[in-house]
Amino acid sequence: MKVFILTALAFLLGIDDVSTKMFRRPLLIAPIVGIILGNLQAGLVIGATLEIMWMGIGDVGAYMAPDLITGTMISTSLAIMGNTNGSISTMVATAITLAVPTSILAQQLLVLIETINCSLNGWAKKLADKADVKGTYWLTWPPALLYGFTRAFPTFLALQFGAGAIQTAINDLPKFIINGLSTAGSIIPSVGIALLMMTMLKKGELWMFVILGFVLSSYLKLDILPITLIALVFAFLYERATREPQVAKTASTAAATENVTDSEDDEEDYDL
Amino acid sequence: MTEEKLTVPEHKLNNRDLWRMFMRLNTMRITLNYETLQGVGFMRAIAPALAKIYPDKKDLSEAMKRHLVFYNSHVNFDAVILGLTAAMEETTPPDEKDGINPLKTGLMGPLAGLGDSLIKFTWLPIVGSIGASIAFGGSIFGPILMFILYNIINMGARYYAVSFGYKKGIDFLNNNQQSDVIQRISTIANVVGLMVVGALIATVVKVQTPLKIAVHSNVSSKVGSNVISLQAMFDKIMPGVLSLLVTIAVYYILKKTNGKHSAMLIVIMMVLVVGLSYFKIL
Repeated sequence: MKVFILTALAFLLGIDDVSTKMFRRPLLIAPIVGIILGNLQAGLVIGATLEIMWMGIGDVGAYMAPDLITGTMISTSLAIMGNTNGSISTMVATAITLAVPTSILAQQLLVLIETINCSLNGWAKKLADKADVKGTYWLTWPPALLYGFTRAFPTFLALQFGAGAIQTAINDLPKFIINGLSTAGSIIPSVGIALLMMTMLKKGELWMFVILGFVLSSYLKLDILPITLIALVFAFLYERATREPQVAKTASTAAATENVTDSEDDEEDYDL
Repeated sequence: MTEEKLTVPEHKLNNRDLWRMFMRLNTMRITLNYETLQGVGFMRAIAPALAKIYPDKKDLSEAMKRHLVFYNSHVNFDAVILGLTAAMEETTPPDEKDGINPLKTGLMGPLAGLGDSLIKFTWLPIVGSIGASIAFGGSIFGPILMFILYNIINMGARYYAVSFGYKKGIDFLNNNQQSDVIQRISTIANVVGLMVVGALIATVVKVQTPLKIAVHSNVSSKVGSNVISLQAMFDKIMPGVLSLLVTIAVYYILKKTNGKHSAMLIVIMMVLVVGLSYFKIL
C-alpha cells in the first residue's frame, strides 16, 4: 500500500518538476516520504543532507542535471524501508549511497522524453495552421503524463523489489563500511557547497565573504538566519563600495543614447 | 532621456487574460524538446492572448506560427518576456511584426543567465540552507519555511512578472537606466549567498579525526603517557578547520574539471572515506 502511495507521489512530483516547480528539491520531498513511511525524523535529516549535497546542481544550458526527484524518492524510501531497526545515521548513509546512482540513471530517461517531445512541433504547427487556439490546450497532456510515468515507474520498481535487497545488504555488509558511509554522509555535502561556490565566486575578493560567514558560524556559533541578515548588511556596504561612479554611469547612458539615435532612423532595429 | 521607440499598449487584455497566460506559463516547460526547446510551450502560453488580439483567423494563424520558433529562458523571466511579447503583438503595426521575434531572442539569453544566477544559484541555496539547518535539528518547520520562502519568488513573482511585462515592459526597455538596478541586486544576492555558504561549511560539513598523538615527554620518558587528541588541538586553533580545508580542496578539484564530474567525485569521496575510516584516520 505504501509503495503505491509513494509511486503516486512520484508521479505528481514528476509533473510538478517541469511545470510549477514547487517541490523540486530534496528537502521538500524527503520529509513527505518520511511522513508516509512513519519516520519523519529520518526524512528530515536525509532531506537536509541531500539538499546540501545537491545544492549547486541545476541544468545550465545543454548540461542536464541528475534527476533529483527520482533520486530523492528512491533513496529516501529505501533508506527508511530497508533499516527496520537502524539508527538515523545508517539511514542517511544508505540514502546518500543510493542517491548518486539513482539520480544519474533516471536522468537518462529525461533525455529520452525530450527526444520524444520533438513530435509535438509537428502537432503544434498543424494547430497554428488552423489557428486552433482551443486545441493548444491538449498539447501539454501527453508529455505531462510521460514525465509522470518516468518518475513513477522507476520508483515503483525500486521500492517493490529493492527494499529487501537493501535490507540484506545492510545486514551483511561489514560494519566498517556502514560506519565509513555514515562518516562520508557528513563530508559529502562539501561537494554541493563547492559547486555553489564555483558559480558565485566571480572575483577573487569575494573569498572574504566566505571567510566571514565561516567565522561567524564556527567561532560565534550563530544560526544561518542571523548570518543571512548580517550578510545583507555587508552585501549592501560592498555594493555601495564597488558601485560604478556616477561619471561612468552617465557616460554609459550617453553611449546608450547614441546607440538609440543611430537606430532611430531604422525603426525595426531594436538595439537593446 | 531617450525618446520612446515603442508605444505603450492600450491594454486589450484584462486581468483574466493575464491569469490565463500565467496558468499556461506554468506548464510551459513540459513541452521541452531538443528541436525548439520551449518554442511549443511559448506558443501555447501566448495563444489565448493572440486570439484576443487578432480577431481575424489568418492573422491569428500567422501570429501563432511566429512563436513556434526556438525559445529558451529562465522560468521567472519567461513571464516577463511573455507579457512583453503580448504587448508587442498588440502595439506593432501589421507590417513590422518581424521585429517581435528578434526582440524575444535578444532578451531570452541574458535573462536566462540572470535568472539562473539569481534564483537557481542564489535564492534557492540560501532558503535551502536555512531550511536544512533547521531540519538537521529535527524540526518540520525547516522544509515548511523553505517551501514558503522559495515559492514566494517562484510562484508569486511569476504571476507579477506577467503583468509587469505586459503593462510596464515596454517602458522598461526604453529606459536604459534600469539595467544597473538588476546589476546591484545580483551583486547583493551574490555576497549574501557566499556568506551563507561560508556558514554552511562550518555547520554542515563535519570532518573529525580520531587520531591521537603520543607525545614522548622527557619527564616521564614513557611513550604514550601523554596522549594528545589531534581533533582537540584543531578545535583549539580553529573550530571546523578541517571542514574548511576539505571544502577548499573539493572546490579546486571541481574548478579544474569545470564541475562536470561532480557525481563521480562524490563516489570517489565515498570510497576514500570508507577506506580512511577503516584505518581509523577519519
